[in-house]
Amino acid sequence: MDTASANDFDIRDYLRVELLPHFMCPGCGHGIALRALLWAVHDLKLAKDRLAIVSGIGCSGRVGAYIDANTFHVTHGRPLAFATGLALARPDLEVIVITGDGDCLAIGGNHLIHACRRNLHLTCLMFNNEIYGMTGGQVSPTTADDRLTTTTPYGNAEPSFDACALAAAAGASFVGRGMTLQTVALKNLIRDAISHRGFSFVEVISDCTEIFGRKNDLGSSPEMILRQKGSMKPDTYGNVVDRPFRPNAVQTGVLARNDRPEYGDAYRAAVLGAAGAAVAG
Amino acid sequence: MIPVGRRNLQGNHACAYAAIAAGCRFYAGYPITPSSEIAEKMSLELPRVQGVFVQMEDEIASMGAVIGASLGGVKAMTATSGPGFSLKQENLGYAAMVEVPCVIIDVMRGGPSTGMPTRPAQGDLMQARWGTHGDHPIVVVTPASVGEIYTETVRAFDLAERLRTPVIVLYDETVGHLVETVDVPDLSDVTSAQRKWASGPKETFLPYADPGDGVPEMVRPGDGYRCHTTGLTHGENGFPTQRPAEVEEMTRRLLGKLERHRDVIDRFETVRTGDAHIVVVAVGIAARAARRAVVEARAKGIAAGLFRPITLWPFPEAAFREVVAGADAVLVVEMNAGQLALEIERLVGRRGKVARLNRISGEPIGPDEILANIEELARHGHR
Amino acid sequence: MNVEHRPAVPTNVLIVGVGGQGVIMVSKVLASLCQQAGLEVKQSEVHGMAKRGGSVFSHVRFGETVLSPMIAHGEADIMVALEWAEGLRWLDYLKRDGGTFIADTQQIVPPVSFRNRRRGARSGYAPATPAEVIDLVGNGFALDATRMAAGLGNERVANTVLLGALSTALPFPREGWLGVLDGLVPPKTTEVNRRAFDAGREWVQNFDRPAEQAAAAVAVPVSGDGLDHRLEITEAWCKGCDICVKMCPERCLTLNARHIVELTDPAACTACRLCEWLCPDFAIRVLTASAPAPALAK
Repeated sequence: MDTASANDFDIRDYLRVELLPHFMCPGCGHGIALRALLWAVHDLKLAKDRLAIVSGIGCSGRVGAYIDANTFHVTHGRPLAFATGLALARPDLEVIVITGDGDCLAIGGNHLIHACRRNLHLTCLMFNNEIYGMTGGQVSPTTADDRLTTTTPYGNAEPSFDACALAAAAGASFVGRGMTLQTVALKNLIRDAISHRGFSFVEVISDCTEIFGRKNDLGSSPEMILRQKGSMKPDTYGNVVDRPFRPNAVQTGVLARNDRPEYGDAYRAAVLGAAGAAVAG
Repeated sequence: MIPVGRRNLQGNHACAYAAIAAGCRFYAGYPITPSSEIAEKMSLELPRVQGVFVQMEDEIASMGAVIGASLGGVKAMTATSGPGFSLKQENLGYAAMVEVPCVIIDVMRGGPSTGMPTRPAQGDLMQARWGTHGDHPIVVVTPASVGEIYTETVRAFDLAERLRTPVIVLYDETVGHLVETVDVPDLSDVTSAQRKWASGPKETFLPYADPGDGVPEMVRPGDGYRCHTTGLTHGENGFPTQRPAEVEEMTRRLLGKLERHRDVIDRFETVRTGDAHIVVVAVGIAARAARRAVVEARAKGIAAGLFRPITLWPFPEAAFREVVAGADAVLVVEMNAGQLALEIERLVGRRGKVARLNRISGEPIGPDEILANIEELARHGHR
Repeated sequence: MNVEHRPAVPTNVLIVGVGGQGVIMVSKVLASLCQQAGLEVKQSEVHGMAKRGGSVFSHVRFGETVLSPMIAHGEADIMVALEWAEGLRWLDYLKRDGGTFIADTQQIVPPVSFRNRRRGARSGYAPATPAEVIDLVGNGFALDATRMAAGLGNERVANTVLLGALSTALPFPREGWLGVLDGLVPPKTTEVNRRAFDAGREWVQNFDRPAEQAAAAVAVPVSGDGLDHRLEITEAWCKGCDICVKMCPERCLTLNARHIVELTDPAACTACRLCEWLCPDFAIRVLTASAPAPALAK
């Protein structure tokens, strides 16, 4: 299993190594998520020159800068909008969006649902750590009930989003969830998300150890990442089952997938085709 | 089909045709009165030249998509009106900071807020200059006729590409919906610059280094430079920095970039200002009424003249100072409560009187009214 | 509390560090102590966005009367640096004659310290050694407060170690400091904070130790599955999160005294790669003997 891939994958070939160590906190899951992404890029043999990373604001947004590719760190919540323009203008590029739970679901929520609906070939990786880490630990749209944050000092009374259900309902043609604990499965999930022709949404369960973990007494970094085992359904990749492993478990793996037309292809076939015929006629 | 030769054209349609002639191949927008004709025309014409039109989910996304397309190396544009322009300010600041060529059309309507969607106004003169936060460079052009919408839209792309900056084409609802007979140039006669692409050794390339003219070469994804682009304050290498000396140097280059290219940016029209004692200043449709008022004032023996900024921001200061050097009164005519007047008062200082004629009723200002104001100034000795 | 020393000219203390280290806690203790002593205090700080490795500083000025909230260049009587490079960055704020420099030798390298985009380029990060800096300022103490705090069982109290060091340079009694400290830290950490304070205080009082330097990267052969593999650790990238240590099925990794991962039992390592995959900082790499030459993507 992945032995060959693991052997010839040297993450440093895909990193701006001169920027390391990265700025993320000790134990932050975003580093593991970044490894999974770069490993998937390696498996797919994507050329770095053709790879465009668009990220928003927040801890997740800063991840892009470490990737040795064409990297764009844009405004808060808007990476999907920028990526839509970039991918439509340059269909030869492989455009991957790195966003966070606040960036994608709160300030960028409208862009997410319309990107899902449009089904343009983009891969959206949402690093979900249930918190606004960069600004010091405020409640986010995925913060679970009763969690303590700097803006929910008495516990969170708001219900949270199920980002994957939202993306699937809005029409994303590939929806998956993976966790940093299962790095190989996460890599494979991201690999398939990128390969999928259309809009792919992947929620990456990531740990904010320094802020969220400490605020909620979730223990050390290893304790937090192991906790994923209990709260996530540790599904093997690709094996979608109906019944969750335990009542409150969140399902991982591929959660939705269909082959409806990709927007860029549809635009080029229908619109450019008709316009071209009109010009010729 | 893009018309060529003598035609009757609507202002907003002229804008769309000009954009395509200038090489625009990407449009993202959101419907808003009174600019929607531009989007509609672009959705029809862009596919015919293998361009991309996309109607985004909101104004913010439209601006984001335009910047994304331009970062991909394609000339891109969007169009909007006041409320949408407000929403675009966030990403407009990003374009200024990151130095992304792009063109934004703002067809002004009555404000504030939803205001009067179908009535003309000139209430966005200051928003166009200072709408986004922080010190930033921006170019704003203000055409006054359908023909000028065409030429200024072409020039907007030219300036955006040459100077790596967002350029705003600002005109009011009246000009946007005006139909005039114009001479549309042959496409081959339309020239618009292309930005400088990154060149030289890839290993040592610095995406924000000043090559001498203040405008860095731009990286195109796929060309092998693999740089980082961020709205955070960045150094020459494109990565964030907070070193005071580096921040100061980069910000000064960014702000000084336009000053160094005033020769291509500044554009204005003067009507009989050579010996004018009373100089009228106006842009857009107000300037057309002012022109007639000036001609009529001259017929009555009043030494009046018109200064019409075509590039509004940065304001063509040098030319204006020259024009008002011999004048003793300036009349600022604008369809707002007094925005351009603030800049004119600053430039005139204590050397002369600055009078204002403002209209905030949703109607254009007529020549008679302007003439009456000129005559009033003349009666008080400003001949 | 009585303070005999009540100078007309305010005393300037500059406390610097990076996000998450507790710069603000140190300045809060000092400010409260001065206030209790009946002095006028001004405390001005930058934090918030500086979370996660960004620069954080706090100016504390106290005296009979204090007007400006900020310390001018060359006017700080004492500077406390919770992070080495931050200390260097702010060094020109310290009084050249008679200023006291107290710094943790711990380095937290921020991305912004790299100017060259080429792969393998050297960082310009904090090139000066503690000895050089102490020579420059005349009155300096460079102590490994983070390690001392870890030795006390909680590396988070490194700031309190430095607070203890700071206490030796100001005319307030030990009990006054401890009283304020007790009120500001979580009750369950009172004891460790008190011990940290005393450790820092005693370190300065017995000052004669040279400061330490960071070590280089290592690659160690491993043979757990009978194959000829190597485990490569990039020490400079390790943040000591402990994930690899706790997840290793063979229990052959540990965090050393500097809180950096170390391979303790090469014969037990089976090169299963869990540590490599779960390291958020790319600090570990397993090199198998059978691995083909890496295909560089272009």
